[in-house]
Amino acid sequence: MANDKSSMQLITRGILSENPIFKLALSMCPAVGISTTVMNGFMLGVAVLFVQVFSSVTISIFKNVIHPRIRIPTYTLTIATWVTVIDLVLAAYLPEAYAKMGIFVKLIVAFAIITMRLEMFACKEPVKDSFWDGMGMGLGFMIGMMVIGFVRELLGSGAILGYDVLGFKPLLFFILPSAGFFVVGLMMAFFNWIEVYYKRTKGLK
Amino acid sequence: MKNIITIVFRLTVSCLLAASVMGLCFIFTSNAKKHNEHVQEQKVIYELLGYKGGAKIPDSMALHEVYRYVITGGDKQSIGYLVPQGHSKEQGFLFVNIDLAGVLLASKAVTLSEAEALDPKVRGKAIEQAAGPGYSVKFADQTIIVTKDGKRIAYLLGGKFQGFKTFVNVMLAVDPKFTILGLEVLEHEEDPGLGAEIDQDYFKNQFKGKPFEALKAIDVVKAPLPADYLEALNGKVGEEDIAKFREQYKDKAVYALTGATISSKAVAEGVKGIVTKFAYRLNVLDKILKEQQLAVSF
Repeated sequence: MANDKSSMQLITRGILSENPIFKLALSMCPAVGISTTVMNGFMLGVAVLFVQVFSSVTISIFKNVIHPRIRIPTYTLTIATWVTVIDLVLAAYLPEAYAKMGIFVKLIVAFAIITMRLEMFACKEPVKDSFWDGMGMGLGFMIGMMVIGFVRELLGSGAILGYDVLGFKPLLFFILPSAGFFVVGLMMAFFNWIEVYYKRTKGLK
Repeated sequence: MKNIITIVFRLTVSCLLAASVMGLCFIFTSNAKKHNEHVQEQKVIYELLGYKGGAKIPDSMALHEVYRYVITGGDKQSIGYLVPQGHSKEQGFLFVNIDLAGVLLASKAVTLSEAEALDPKVRGKAIEQAAGPGYSVKFADQTIIVTKDGKRIAYLLGGKFQGFKTFVNVMLAVDPKFTILGLEVLEHEEDPGLGAEIDQDYFKNQFKGKPFEALKAIDVVKAPLPADYLEALNGKVGEEDIAKFREQYKDKAVYALTGATISSKAVAEGVKGIVTKFAYRLNVLDKILKEQQLAVSF
């Protein structure tokens, strides 16, 4: 099944029109739990990006030999393998980054977004397109996490990237996991509103 | 039926493939990982002793590892210590078996080099041999005694205790009078933004300089940290001012983290437990070493 989208379109689709967090609403639980600061969001985003790209490419390469009945276990196995490999490599060669990212990397096995991309895209499309799709989805997730992290860090601890900018802590509530859902919900509404507004001014629909 | 066989076959093949990828990766990275852990541990040790960021470590300073084992035989329990006799290869270790009442049961030389003692398996076997047949041994903890020019200057204690979620793994440095020199949180899984703040300087440094007497009665208060004290804890003022604040707050309770009182209490109680138990054990061990005139390296 040939794909008619260029690599650039695949990337922008992941970031904008099919953003994993704001549009597809996938992987919410881990995302909401972690995105308390911009840095945390960025770290988890990078880890997801790597796992997504590697898994997409692997599944795309092996798509013809995977038995359709056991595709989900195969996806899970692929993701778990890549997560373990990344975890081990980080621990061995980048101990400083691993100290900060370690707990996030292990969480990725449970991310719905990766399995969903493998099922929807990588198992049908050629390797090159799967790579760009993985890239776009990973970047979209990373940017989404950073935006949520930005709001929560600013309102929850009055800081950005660990630097105190407000000098006081407006609402501790935003740090708590439950507040993540409020932030995500409000941002979804906001982004949808922008999209509707943009389409109207352009005279589309 | 044919379907089932293909599915089983394919699943097995993919599992084997995945396992071999992970296995290979593990083999290639395990050495580097072990090395990193060792480097990290050494860094934490020297930072706790006050040699931060590659400051020169004097040659007269030496670290002596003491390993503690619980020895069970029948219904009796005793504590076995593995203490270094010296730092050259021939001197090896001394195995000291003390019963729960603090009476010496046996002492025996164990030939084991320091590098060998670092490996838990080799060490465990040596202890089993020294304890004799019919006894089972279990590793309890290890302590590092730091000496400078032959005089003890600090003890480094490792310990684990229950936090809010899972275990908190810490390393403590105390001076010979059991005043806390430093606290480092090595491992924890507390909530990010709340309990995870236990590894921040402004919390850890509150324990610095707490004398043994104050530690025994340590308490946690739910009150906002005074702004000037917070700055001192984060190291934003001069050394003299920090010392002044440490003196002022040394007998006071620890300020709880906002939204994480349980984690804060767990750390305070855990630190107290580690130090008081260590003080008692060291007392027993020292008494026996002195009475029996056993030569050790510290």
